Amino acid sequence: MTTEARLTRNWGNPEAVGIDGYVAAGGYEALRTAVGMTDADIVEQVKASGLRGRGGAGFPTGMKWGFVPRDTGKPTYVVVNFDESEPGTCNNRELVEREPHRLLEGTAIAALAIGCETAFLYVRGEYLWQSIVLERAVKEAYAKGFLGADVAGSGKRIDVVLHRGAGAYICGEETALLNSLEGLRGQPRLRPPFPAVEGLYASPTVINNVETLMNVPDIIARGADWFREVGTEKSPGTKMVTISGKVERPGNYEIALGTPFRSVLEELGGGMLGGGTLKAWTPGGSSTPMLTAAHIDTALDYESLAAAGSLLGTAAIMVMDETDCVVDCAQRMVAFYAHESCGKCTPCREGSWWATRVLERLEDGYGKPADVPLMHDMGKNTLFRAFCALADGTAAVINSSLQHFAEEYEEHVRLGRCPLREAPVVEVAS
Amino acid sequence: MAVFDGSVLDDARAILARYPDAHQRSAIMPLLYLAQSVEGMVSPDALREIGGLLGITTAEVEAVATFYSMYRLRPTGTHVVNVCTNLACKLRGAEAVYEAAHEAAGIAHGEELSADGLFTVHEEECLGVCDFAPAVQVNFCNHDLVTPARMRELIGELRAGEVPAPARGPAFPSFKAASRALAGLEEVPAS
Amino acid sequence: MSSAPSSGGAIGRTKVDLVTLSIDGNEVTVPKGTLIIRAAEQVGVEIPRFCDHPYLAPAGACRQCYVQIEGQPKLATSCTVTVAPGMIVATQNTSEEVREAQVANLEFLLLNHPLDCPVCDRGGECPLQDQALAFGPGESRFTEAKRVYPKPIPMSPLIGLDRERCVLCARCTRFCDEISGDRFLELYARGAGERVSIAAGEDLRSPFSGNVVQICPVGALTATPYRFVARPFDLTSADSVCRHCSAGCNVRVDERRGDVVRVLARDNPEVNDAWICDKGRFAFLHDDAPGRVTTPLVRDHGLEPASFGEALLQVADACRQARVGVLAGGRLLDEDAYALSKLARTVLRTNDLDHRRMAQPLAVDRRAALSAVDRSRAVTYRDLERAPVILVVGLDAEQEVPILHLRLRKAAARGARIVVVHPRVTRLRDVAEHVVCPPGDEARVLGGGVDARLDDALAAVRAAADAAAILAGERPGAAAAALTTAAATGARFAYVTRRAGDRGALAAGVHPTLGPGGRRLDDASARAEIETVWGPVMAADAGRDAIDIVRAAAAHELDVLYLVGVDPLRDVPDAALARRALQNVETVVVQSLELGDLEPFASVFLPAASLLERDGHVSDWEGRSQRVRPLRSPAGISRPDWEIFAGVAAAAGADLGFETLDELHDEMGRLLAPHAATDEPIEPETPAVRDELTLCTYPLLIDEGRMSEGTAELKAALEEPAFAEMHPSDASARGLADGLGARLRTDAGEATVAVRVTEDIAPGTVFVPFNQPGLAANTLLSGAFTAAVTVEAADEPEPAVAAAGGDAA
Repeated sequence: MTTEARLTRNWGNPEAVGIDGYVAAGGYEALRTAVGMTDADIVEQVKASGLRGRGGAGFPTGMKWGFVPRDTGKPTYVVVNFDESEPGTCNNRELVEREPHRLLEGTAIAALAIGCETAFLYVRGEYLWQSIVLERAVKEAYAKGFLGADVAGSGKRIDVVLHRGAGAYICGEETALLNSLEGLRGQPRLRPPFPAVEGLYASPTVINNVETLMNVPDIIARGADWFREVGTEKSPGTKMVTISGKVERPGNYEIALGTPFRSVLEELGGGMLGGGTLKAWTPGGSSTPMLTAAHIDTALDYESLAAAGSLLGTAAIMVMDETDCVVDCAQRMVAFYAHESCGKCTPCREGSWWATRVLERLEDGYGKPADVPLMHDMGKNTLFRAFCALADGTAAVINSSLQHFAEEYEEHVRLGRCPLREAPVVEVAS
Repeated sequence: MAVFDGSVLDDARAILARYPDAHQRSAIMPLLYLAQSVEGMVSPDALREIGGLLGITTAEVEAVATFYSMYRLRPTGTHVVNVCTNLACKLRGAEAVYEAAHEAAGIAHGEELSADGLFTVHEEECLGVCDFAPAVQVNFCNHDLVTPARMRELIGELRAGEVPAPARGPAFPSFKAASRALAGLEEVPAS
Repeated sequence: MSSAPSSGGAIGRTKVDLVTLSIDGNEVTVPKGTLIIRAAEQVGVEIPRFCDHPYLAPAGACRQCYVQIEGQPKLATSCTVTVAPGMIVATQNTSEEVREAQVANLEFLLLNHPLDCPVCDRGGECPLQDQALAFGPGESRFTEAKRVYPKPIPMSPLIGLDRERCVLCARCTRFCDEISGDRFLELYARGAGERVSIAAGEDLRSPFSGNVVQICPVGALTATPYRFVARPFDLTSADSVCRHCSAGCNVRVDERRGDVVRVLARDNPEVNDAWICDKGRFAFLHDDAPGRVTTPLVRDHGLEPASFGEALLQVADACRQARVGVLAGGRLLDEDAYALSKLARTVLRTNDLDHRRMAQPLAVDRRAALSAVDRSRAVTYRDLERAPVILVVGLDAEQEVPILHLRLRKAAARGARIVVVHPRVTRLRDVAEHVVCPPGDEARVLGGGVDARLDDALAAVRAAADAAAILAGERPGAAAAALTTAAATGARFAYVTRRAGDRGALAAGVHPTLGPGGRRLDDASARAEIETVWGPVMAADAGRDAIDIVRAAAAHELDVLYLVGVDPLRDVPDAALARRALQNVETVVVQSLELGDLEPFASVFLPAASLLERDGHVSDWEGRSQRVRPLRSPAGISRPDWEIFAGVAAAAGADLGFETLDELHDEMGRLLAPHAATDEPIEPETPAVRDELTLCTYPLLIDEGRMSEGTAELKAALEEPAFAEMHPSDASARGLADGLGARLRTDAGEATVAVRVTEDIAPGTVFVPFNQPGLAANTLLSGAFTAAVTVEAADEPEPAVAAAGGDAA
């Protein structure tokens, strides 16, 4: 059995969306406990749990909180990164749709941990309904005294400001998010200084992913050891995975970290759609190097995927079958990066744009022999060369598709068309 | 001011009040949504007026407005139809849905607005509905598992003045109305 | 930061930690906090770069400047990483991986770059071209369609953007954001569609706009006056100092086939960093203007060409046993001013000698002169950068000494608290507090109890003592009040006047009361010091100051008016008086580049060489003396001013004492050196109490002044028409509305001009710029730069004048 029920414990309970149902299911107990703890104890408990950031970077959450200096004279901020935009990822969306208060509770505990009085929720613009769900929950929480001037009777103030994005994947990058929140263009910042020291409004700031924060109430209520009962030594706890594409049951599921991909595919995802053959899959969204059927037994955790030459990322698994052309899919994925590139740095801006054009030609049947070594170079010249990791996503697509499907590229050139199509390709506006 | 007038100016002030006094520039994003909700797009006047409200140049405002894909700075249809064609949706046939949207709305590729002014069709990046692909948003309301036939149906309903019920959440009857909600100005009853 | 004892004119020297690292195997030691790319330059390694600029904050955008740091798996951008002890860095010279990464990056940059080299201004001095030639791919692998844009796109009348060439290094937008604060140039959109742009109808209207052309590493931003004009290898150049104000900006003047075609900024971290203003950059046509006269002229019925011999003899004859008044403008080099001072006192036997636009109490002038000859008393640009608190009194730096304005912004960015006391809010508004007060009211305001923010700042000034700085400009009453405050608080004080030659002239003693080195002529021991070098100087009676010289001439109390680089009809704050003076005085000697409106009055014209034709020195507002080099020989038979003065002396049978510039310089060095001198005590002035409105005027940067002549794009971009600026309380009380016409009346005259209503001016003050098209403000003045004025609605409304935002794009 691969499903764990910690974050998704109340998903079968529609009442848990509202505050009364959430409290009845045990909600806000952790917050009540946390207000009786010292800031340092909260941080220690989260550290001890081994919780790692669930937004893709995997940085230890407690350690991140511990970096926040408390003596600068400036306010500290918690910023919730609800800009979920990695292709293939939608678990944050469902988590908030079903149990928004769990996010608010985790946010409030994080605020207590770093002495923050104003927390910002940055929601991607396209999640309009989900942002309304959150807004309702915020109102309810204020009404019941779990947010506002006197949180859970502690005398401490925690205010929440909801801020909507406007359609930019790069704003999921921490420092770009801060710039966007400050009213600037959403381009990433140089580090150092790090956000923990100089983040929002040049003040010490913690930015956490939605799923990360939703783990916090249980860690406080049930303890670090409990949290570690599931998962691996270095990757404790559960992880939401999204599985989509050519599977019978696309959806968001909660697994123990370390679960093999095969289990997720077959037991949770219901197996390949229509009995198709697994050809390629992204373990953690399009930014993670794609893997093949040969990797079907790889465990889904940070270490195992790194060893396989990929990354856990957001655990957004997109599944391609034998009817899918890898070059075509690569083109669409690279077009995403070209569209979302902030434009600041040369390799990302120009490289992703060029790669999109070349892949288009290859897929449309106008590829030349020189294009394949050219794509190799583009992948090499983009990886780790850019200002931020967005370009590494482009490189991941190019490099992994070339690594595992070189023959398919060559065939496009040799045949002068996509081997999987007989009809001309419909023009895709980019 | 032409755009930020009367009650709209009151709305703008309410937005400004959400952010710390020393950091009012943070309000630029919801103010752009507010302008969009008034005019159906963000006009040069609106850019200038937002600059005036925040004490920054028009260029600084326009630099931010042009960065994001959800602010429309050119004439836009009453309804904005966003069709995701990123990988998870593409694998489930989104490209045909996108084609159907263009055809049904009567917009040629490369154009942005249907002749009747009703529709703008956008090819979108991942909307976070990979579990219900192909995903479509009409005025940022979710329509899931959309087939080409369903897409044509939706366009037809909109053309007939109906507001199709989304898969989740309330329906916003127009791009303007959705923009107002995006500005955070929708009345949100406690559930 | 500790405030060091007063030595070397430095405020707050800090001890610096050093770091030793290795670059390509060479050991280099640099201050902690140095970027690797800067450290590399110190061992002669030029790491290629586009977005890096030593005066802008690191961006890390272009990715060209890669290096390998031992122990780090990824390449690092040397422009964003500071040195660490023991760091081992490999540049492209010793690392193949780095070199390949740079070549790859160049390939990316060239993808969308148009093949414009043959038509691009930057060709021949282009970092992209240089690097592509040096090690870029010889052929392109790119076979898709490049992105294209219309070209050029005007950012303003001065600046054209060739967007296809842009490499998106963002130097231009960062300059506008970090340095000038004129944020009209921004990056729009994202990804490959990212582009530099202005908002429609919102030009890059900034007096510093030209800097973006100079720092653009490709030919994307072009200067309209220079577009298609020259190739760098066509140019001859000379290093000079800008002559348009007292900032002392270091420039390089480029000439092609005898015409000046361009002026660039030279780096000088002690003076102008890497910047000049648009006036310095684009107003370079004066020397070759059609009105230039390059032969002497002598009046015989009309003005006839003559030899220098004849002309000088005429001057000498007219001056013999005569009452001579000498007026100098702000154009003289240090050496010229010294020679004039000596000529006046030893040959012409007059103390009626002045260069100043604005008479000041002796204490102010003396302090300024002493700080010019004794640099330990001076306030420098660096001092301002380090000062914790700065008061700016009676000075609109952006308009009067623009690069000083930039330096104040830099100080503010470093945490300095700046308070401006001025009749109008200035463009420092986003970084400084402003206390507006009518001219003459500064003493009351600075006395305390009027504005809480100012009082708070004054307390900070007191606490900082000589680490704080007080700058005073030429608004009447400001310098006296500011010097009083400096004396009371222990802050350093600098008197900042606008014109380039002002400080040198003051130091040399082109002044009724002060001789060379700030020595009082009525002080016996001071005169003795002068006389050891000059021989006997005339009696110590204070001479007349500038306005009194003009009055005396008008009243037939002078026989000769010797005008050196000054046009009284334009410059004297009483146009009618100036005209009477020129009409009534027997002999008018004009020594200048042109005759202009003085033609009907001149008895003798002596052609002076222009700054471009000169060797010598110019002193900036700090008192720093900087060398200028000639670009070409004097035009026609014009001569350096000091040579003409020596010629006048010789024609009068005297010997001014030097035949070469070096000799003059040696002599100058004897008198313009530090000497024991104490400051004058400053008497706080009692401001005149006015019931009515006070007219306040000073020149804006781009105006109808002679030196801006001929530069059409500069004027189109930055020149405003005449206007009268008033506070809403004054305007509404008189039924005046923004944009409509008003009639101004003073004792001297009246004028009709459009009104601008703004809260950014002190109630009770009406500001009229000194010399914009449509109104020469000196027709409203009676000898001072302020006047009582009445303002009422004009019968016929003036067409609405564009507000400060400027013309439509």
